[in-house]
Amino acid sequence: MSEEKKVKVHVDKVNKSYGDNHVLRDISLDVMDNEVVVMIGPSGSGKSTFLRMLNLLEKPDSGVIDVDGHDILDPKTNINKVRENIGMVFQNFNLFNNYTVLENITLAPVQLGKMTKAEAEEKAKELLETVGLPDKANVSVNSLSGGQKQRVAIARALAMNPDIMLFDEPTSALDPEMVGDVLEVMKRLAKTGMTMVIVTHEMGFAKQVANRVVFFESGKIQESGTPEQIFTAPKNERLQTFLSKVMHA
Amino acid sequence: MVTKRYKPLLAVMVAFVLAIFMAGTRADAAQKPNYIISTDAAYAPFDFQDKNNQYVGIDMDILKEVAKRNNFTYTLKPMSFNAAAQMVANGQADGIIAGMMINDARKQVYDVSDPYYQSGVAWITKPNSKIKSLSDLKGKTVALKTGTAAANYGASLKDKYGFKVKYFNDTDTMYNDVVNGNTAATFEDYPVIQYAIKNGMKLEVRNPKDLGNGGGVGFFVKKGENALLLQQFNTTLAEMKKDGTYDKIIDKYLNSSQKTFVGEASDNNSMWGILKSNKSAFWKGLVETTKLTVTGIILASLWGLLLGLMGTAQSKFWRGLSTTIIYAFRGLPLMVLAFFIYIGLPGVIGMKIPAFTAGLLTLILNEGAYTGAFVRGGFDSVNVGQMEAARSLGLSHRQAMWKVIVPQGLKMTVPSFVNQFIITLKDTSILSAIGILELTQTGTLIVARNSQGFRVWGIIAIIYLVVITLLTWFSNWVEKKIN
Repeated sequence: MSEEKKVKVHVDKVNKSYGDNHVLRDISLDVMDNEVVVMIGPSGSGKSTFLRMLNLLEKPDSGVIDVDGHDILDPKTNINKVRENIGMVFQNFNLFNNYTVLENITLAPVQLGKMTKAEAEEKAKELLETVGLPDKANVSVNSLSGGQKQRVAIARALAMNPDIMLFDEPTSALDPEMVGDVLEVMKRLAKTGMTMVIVTHEMGFAKQVANRVVFFESGKIQESGTPEQIFTAPKNERLQTFLSKVMHA
Repeated sequence: MVTKRYKPLLAVMVAFVLAIFMAGTRADAAQKPNYIISTDAAYAPFDFQDKNNQYVGIDMDILKEVAKRNNFTYTLKPMSFNAAAQMVANGQADGIIAGMMINDARKQVYDVSDPYYQSGVAWITKPNSKIKSLSDLKGKTVALKTGTAAANYGASLKDKYGFKVKYFNDTDTMYNDVVNGNTAATFEDYPVIQYAIKNGMKLEVRNPKDLGNGGGVGFFVKKGENALLLQQFNTTLAEMKKDGTYDKIIDKYLNSSQKTFVGEASDNNSMWGILKSNKSAFWKGLVETTKLTVTGIILASLWGLLLGLMGTAQSKFWRGLSTTIIYAFRGLPLMVLAFFIYIGLPGVIGMKIPAFTAGLLTLILNEGAYTGAFVRGGFDSVNVGQMEAARSLGLSHRQAMWKVIVPQGLKMTVPSFVNQFIITLKDTSILSAIGILELTQTGTLIVARNSQGFRVWGIIAIIYLVVITLLTWFSNWVEKKIN
């Protein structure tokens, strides 16, 4: 029994529609502790919407979402408390434009009483070191390149000491030469045992890092499995079509 | 959750508004009865300001004498005639003395004293005008003053003689319209136009021997109220006629030379002379305008910020309230709002509101609505990702607003704030309509006395430009600091 892994995220039969557009149909998925789940699929397949539901940026029409033992759809649940443990990284970085790099990272821990200002700053400097930007603490976020912004965004999310990290297409808005730096940071994070749910189009990265790959199409999970199963022996016809388009080989 | 955090802010606002109202109800500890008497601010020889900016005139001297002999005090409220009459009709003032003609229509609304002066309506053109009789006015436009008996008389002849009418709020603007040839003639109470002509107004009465609608001028109180005041007025008036005081007063105003009230002619021949001889009036007007502008800007900005925050709240109720308030007060013309608060509201809430308070409230509500609209727009224009990033870190909506959205949104609205400050300054001039003695009203009163429209309004315009320039410099400085 002690070998059995804890379920960190439990999703059961979640549905979501925008008007007539049924974007998620009866999605169920469990994410285990220390697991890295990568979600792939064509644009508009519902994978980003699904990811944004895990910290309630989007609200499902029906279903159950349980994070760390909290039923986040229950109005009595303090969603702010739950979110403190879920880091989120966005496609467009969303760094706070009115603050410096250091202030972006220290804002939440200090505001939420997790750390004193001095503690938070020390932690922020450590994190900047980890993401390879030790000399950027006091610059304005607008002076950074896209890749640098995304690494700061990762550091900002990590400053809250979350035990789950969500990544919503973290490299899609980057110039190609910046992608490597960001993926490198994410790989290192995965090695530390962080539970991660990642939406991406980087198939090579998915192969290397994922414990499990989930293929979304038309608002449904069409197939899921280890990277090997998905990339070398795909069963689902749509997955085969999708892979033939994105793998170029 | 969200409503909780706006409650304290709202409470402060409500308390503030209440405080303003309370300020209007100061209790008078004095034992002498104190009456509020409204009057026309510029209606020489009955009511006007002399060169020392004191209100003088036949009305003022009679009123003073009545108060003295009957041992009461009074607070004078000089403003436009129409507003002054409305104040009494609505119970916001106890009586009006404003060279007001007695007629049947007015007797329906007011109780009136014995007539203290016999008057009649004259019709007036430029000297040597080709218009010799009323029939010559066919197709021409005639200037009338809103709400006066002379205007009613003039308007009643409109169809018979085939002329058009144009209405004015203020006597001197009306006269100058005729002098400048914009309108062909005007109707006015005979003593009033006599005084103006004597003081250099280039006009001529066409019917001195044949005044229209002759009748008495009286002191009015609201129907059924202040009977004692009315009786004291009548008794004292009779005494004054007997002991010669009355004749002295009439003589003082209708037979004295111009400079007694207006100052030396040399003082009125140049802008510099006018500025010098009226410097305390201009200064007081400027101070009042500045007071209104500065307090108006500060309080309207706070109110606008609150409306903007309410407009971005999570709760539909607060958003709806903000939208409704902004819609209502942006839609109302400033002057209507001012009249509503100053003249309309007291009748309903049974409480007198001082003109300054009413003016300030008007500015807060009107300018605050504009501010609220652009502040809300500023908050809305902050990228939605900023809010999502803040919320996903665990910050509450409130923390996200204050720490992330508000600073960025406000920065974007700085140019709109600067613009609104300048508009507020200019809008204070509209409040002259409720008798606030700010710069514009000061100009009206000085022109009423010396008839030097071009020079006085030139001075006033320059003062406004100087103040606006200073305000713009200050705003630009602040804008630079913020960026």
